[in-house]
Amino acid sequence: MRTDRRDFLITASLAMLATAAKTKLWAQTPADVRADVRLEISPLKLEIAPKKEIHTVAYNGRVPGPLIRWPEGKPITIDVLNRTDVPEIVHWHGLWIPSEQDGAMEEGSPMIAPGAERRYSFTPRPAGFRWYHTHTSAGHDLKRATYTGQFGCFYIEPKQSPGAYDQEIFLTLHDWNAYMGGSGDASMDAFYDYATINDRMLGYGDPIKVREGQKVLLHVLNASATATHWLALAGHEFTVAAMDGNEVPQQAKVQAVRLAPAERIGLLVEMNRPGVWILGETRLEIRKSGMGIVVEYANQSGEPKWIDPPETLWDYTLFAKQEPALEPDERIPLVFESKFHGHGDVDYWKINGKSYPKTDTIPLREGKHYRLVMRNKSSDDHPVHLHRHTFEVTSLDGKPISKLRKDVIVVKANSYAEIDFVAANPGLTLFHCHQQTHMDFGFMMLFRYA
Amino acid sequence: MTRYCALFILIVLAFGGLRLAKAQDNYEIQVYGSDTVAPNTTMLELHSNFTVEGSVPAPGSRFTAEGLYPTNHAEHETVEITQGINNWSEVGFYIFTSARSGDGWQWVGDHIRPRVRAPDSWHWPVGVSLSMEFGYQRALFSPDTWTMELRPIIDKQINRWYFAVNPALERSFHGPSVNEGIGFSPSAKFSYDFNKYISGGLEYYAAYGSIAGIAALHDQEQQFFPTIDLNVSPNWEINFGVGVGATASTDHLIVKGILGRRFDWTHHRAGSSDSTQ
Repeated sequence: MRTDRRDFLITASLAMLATAAKTKLWAQTPADVRADVRLEISPLKLEIAPKKEIHTVAYNGRVPGPLIRWPEGKPITIDVLNRTDVPEIVHWHGLWIPSEQDGAMEEGSPMIAPGAERRYSFTPRPAGFRWYHTHTSAGHDLKRATYTGQFGCFYIEPKQSPGAYDQEIFLTLHDWNAYMGGSGDASMDAFYDYATINDRMLGYGDPIKVREGQKVLLHVLNASATATHWLALAGHEFTVAAMDGNEVPQQAKVQAVRLAPAERIGLLVEMNRPGVWILGETRLEIRKSGMGIVVEYANQSGEPKWIDPPETLWDYTLFAKQEPALEPDERIPLVFESKFHGHGDVDYWKINGKSYPKTDTIPLREGKHYRLVMRNKSSDDHPVHLHRHTFEVTSLDGKPISKLRKDVIVVKANSYAEIDFVAANPGLTLFHCHQQTHMDFGFMMLFRYA
Repeated sequence: MTRYCALFILIVLAFGGLRLAKAQDNYEIQVYGSDTVAPNTTMLELHSNFTVEGSVPAPGSRFTAEGLYPTNHAEHETVEITQGINNWSEVGFYIFTSARSGDGWQWVGDHIRPRVRAPDSWHWPVGVSLSMEFGYQRALFSPDTWTMELRPIIDKQINRWYFAVNPALERSFHGPSVNEGIGFSPSAKFSYDFNKYISGGLEYYAAYGSIAGIAALHDQEQQFFPTIDLNVSPNWEINFGVGVGATASTDHLIVKGILGRRFDWTHHRAGSSDSTQ
């Protein structure tokens, strides 16, 4: 059975609507009017555990930055003050907003100079779990860009009912104190001393308090600069309800979930096993480095327990419709390759044989339906992200699927993936791998609207 | 690269000096890197060394003038099993064997080698580790049977260049060198990554004799191995080299190969961009 064109274009229609109304919706709010949200970027000494302090940069002196919870379609103004000594920029990840507001200098958003302030004005959409983060380059300096604490959750409340649950919790995964080490792909990559869920290491933060019989919705974001994480809640199952803030067409139960950098997931958990448990990384060494949080049932006490989940192979297709998507108007082939610079350096990256900024800028026509046919010829996974658009995952390693909507997709090492999107948000549009070590060393390109 | 090679050889030969050097050990010919085997991982290596031109039997005897099995045309096969303990330590175990026409295939001895390294969390500018190797070799293959080696290891990878130095100290507990105290047996390596899969370089192995009295140059052991490392997979280690002895006390020509296979018993690799499934 083929996908109905009307179904597929829901995403596109919403974006087109916003595009048509953009003059009104995205008009700059006068600077003398108080902004709805104010973010201050400044250095922070973050205590992730007793006597373990991380010197980083964060929003409003906290990690993650403040949760921005905003109704879909209501204009918002956000003032960002840069109190660091380097230019900064804030990217609104997963939102359908204009290029100059999106927060990527490659698309034309201005950088915020040290000591300067910038007002972002846009109308948040689509509904769901989005996020915001710095969009600077770190290069070889692993104390900058997404290695810092510059990230926060942005929840755009849907107009209709958000779903049935008793408690909603936002969790962010992050790795700290990065350093370069030899990786399995024979080049250097980032490794980390510590990891946290939100701002504390396992055992040092407040537990998540639940009651037996509750249905809890976890919004989880992997805000790591480079590391993919596996997460499980000891003794419990997850029902995957959303990916990258978009409801999945096919809910499925899993024992553990995999999240690449920048991916989000919505997990429903039936609290049906009273006790004190660990929600954490499935790999012991990463749990030991801090990635975990205690889940405590009411009237239960004792040491938090961990139970290894059965080995899980992550398969996006479980959450998609097992039917082919609508044929696109045009296919755009993209080949990802690495360029070796020695075992003592990171790999450099090429898309269709060129590294950013020499990558081709591919023209799009507004309203056309495109398919990115991606072939990853490298031995690394790539969580690729398309700015300002939501895409539909239409094929993974030759297996056709449909209706799974995301803004980040992992193209596994030596594999193929296809994603579809409708060109419905004019302006320069950045496409890149969300691994900081990859995007900083060539893995970026732009689309432009003709 | 040629200039670096020449400079390296000159510096090393300049250390030439005084007195007796220790017996040569051609069972494991390897300059150690500072990294240890990852926890829950086992490294299995086979060291194959063939002495093209080495010591020969004394006239009318199966053995050399020193009473040892000759090394000329001997094939040394060493199995090394190394288990990663945690992210800063490992333990290695060696089974040394020797095969030679007329002598058959013989067990030579065993060593055990615990090793620790400066953990990544120390963020040192160079890799540093320290191994302590202790074990037994039969007297017909090594006049000193029970020996111990303390081997500091320092290395550094800079883009395509790799440097390692192992200034090892040796001590005999049974055999003619017991009274000579501590011997100095440094080795070093540098290599260049031609591409992701092939690195070429030069390895140097020496035994200078006792630190209390460095042996005369012709009694020292000095070997140079142009080598190739093949990095075909993170799970495989392949090294090949041809060694030339530069002094009278060194086997003159040796061909060596190392074939290693890593067995990762964990489900997922941590903290890397590698595929996690």
